[in-house]
Amino acid sequence: MRNLTGGGAWLVLPAVLLLAAFFLWPVGELVARSFRDPAGAWVHYQRIWEVPAYLRILNRTLVISAMTTVICVVLAYPLAYRLVTASPMGRAVILVCVLIPFWTNLLVRSYGWIIMLNPQGVINSALMGLGLIDEPLRLVYNTTGVLIGMSQIMLPFMILPIAAVMARLDPKVTHAARSLGATPVQAFFKVYLPLTMPGVMAGSVLVFTISLGFFVIPALLGGSREILLAQLIEFNINQVLNWGLAAALSTVLLIATLGLYWIGDRWFGLGRIWGLK
Amino acid sequence: MRSAWFDPFTAATGIDIVSVSGNTYGRVQAMVEAGRPEWDVVEVLPDFQWIGASANLLEPLDFSVIDTSGVMEGDDLVTEFSIPQVLFSRVMTYSTRFDEVPTDFAAFWDTQRFPGRRAFYSRANGGMLEAALLADGVAPEDLYPLDIDRALAKLDEIRDDILFYETNAQGEQFMSDGQTTLGLLPDGRALNIRNTGAPVDIQYAASFLTWSTMVVPRGAPNAAAAMEFLAYSLTPEAQAAIAEAYTYGPVVPAAFDMISPERAAILSGGPQMAGQAVLFGEKWWGENLSQASERLTEWMLG
Repeated sequence: MRNLTGGGAWLVLPAVLLLAAFFLWPVGELVARSFRDPAGAWVHYQRIWEVPAYLRILNRTLVISAMTTVICVVLAYPLAYRLVTASPMGRAVILVCVLIPFWTNLLVRSYGWIIMLNPQGVINSALMGLGLIDEPLRLVYNTTGVLIGMSQIMLPFMILPIAAVMARLDPKVTHAARSLGATPVQAFFKVYLPLTMPGVMAGSVLVFTISLGFFVIPALLGGSREILLAQLIEFNINQVLNWGLAAALSTVLLIATLGLYWIGDRWFGLGRIWGLK
Repeated sequence: MRSAWFDPFTAATGIDIVSVSGNTYGRVQAMVEAGRPEWDVVEVLPDFQWIGASANLLEPLDFSVIDTSGVMEGDDLVTEFSIPQVLFSRVMTYSTRFDEVPTDFAAFWDTQRFPGRRAFYSRANGGMLEAALLADGVAPEDLYPLDIDRALAKLDEIRDDILFYETNAQGEQFMSDGQTTLGLLPDGRALNIRNTGAPVDIQYAASFLTWSTMVVPRGAPNAAAAMEFLAYSLTPEAQAAIAEAYTYGPVVPAAFDMISPERAAILSGGPQMAGQAVLFGEKWWGENLSQASERLTEWMLG
């Protein structure tokens, strides 16, 4: 923020006002609502604590989001590398391949996956036709389906920050490492990976926090045994009209997210990535 | 809907109707809380008669304008805040590739005689708890209050054979492409599958009857006109017209006099269901949906 002190501070005023009116105030109202039950301020939190379903679903939500993040890192890192090292033409092709699904409607993509993954779908028919499997794999309406769908959607959020860091990195640093006697593997793990880590961390924070609130993908590809917290919140808002409980669940999710962010900032210095420190 | 109900109503009363879709209980609550409901009449599921009333979101109906004497018998179809709109049902849908015809919910649990997976709606009030209790030998008149423990214990027996659908379209897909061989589906969806020629038929002896409901949000701007529209909707003519336009059954039995026997045979509440379909305990659901859902969620997580 050091650049914003001095005479230019008023430039951020419109953005701050917008955030305050359309983000901070509603979120504050939501949190307040979770304590406003006539039966007592803590009734909803007590229920979340006592009924095992809620904490288990919160736990599941965190685990699924973490798994999505890991899958995205593994897929995105090599792809980002190809993206920055490719010829301009190759770069354009990779970018389009990454971004077209990103621009496609979420529902269309989800139903596309259902068609691909279901027991009579393209993937299972192909594998069975090749004689690789005897009976269809269960790829959808379970955790596998959720992870496939979420990873695909989140991939651009991982690729773009990693590629941005890689593109800024001077290729001479790995050349220097090699010329000083490092093997390619050493050069990668000792020099290239640590220097591109900020991109990985930035992408991971984005993917993880967006995944926490995911609703459409788990609802469509997950099947009912795989519900995540966002579905539980929707149920309480739209079906049983227990907005207090929905607000309490949202608050718990918000606190869990902020808590994890704080841990990430403390141990991995996430703040540096956004240029705040 | 427009040609069956709205245009004739406007012609008779001069009151225009603007229809919007996308109603959710949450939006009704948001409008009423804000003190500015935009809607005069909302079509909802019957659990909202109690959920909405207990949240103080509904306008009491004016029964000096609305005549409910023709409505079919059954508890809770008419309440202080709501009238029934049409009947629909959840019916046992089965693959005709079985050697025999499944006749009751016990067949749902008999994976030896009727192999394959089972389709249930994922929500607690989709009928799976009732089906489990009936399969376990509970008499239809003793279903409510539901013994959730007993129902879940029964569901444990076929736990790995159940495929839950989140949307009705998904349930239709499961049955039509054979991913499931038995399913509890909304009747309209089951008829769709049968009409496409898939090897699927409907067992009306194992079916649940329920209904959709119309309510007036508290503070609705044109409440008086809303009452007139509700009154119109319960005339035998209006009920027969809707039953011709959709495969919903009339809530006013006199409407069947204006419906052909072929048509009546595919409608909820028609002769094929008489004395067999079990009426959903919507009042119990209106009061217990939240707790029952928690229990089912726990069960699903295993």
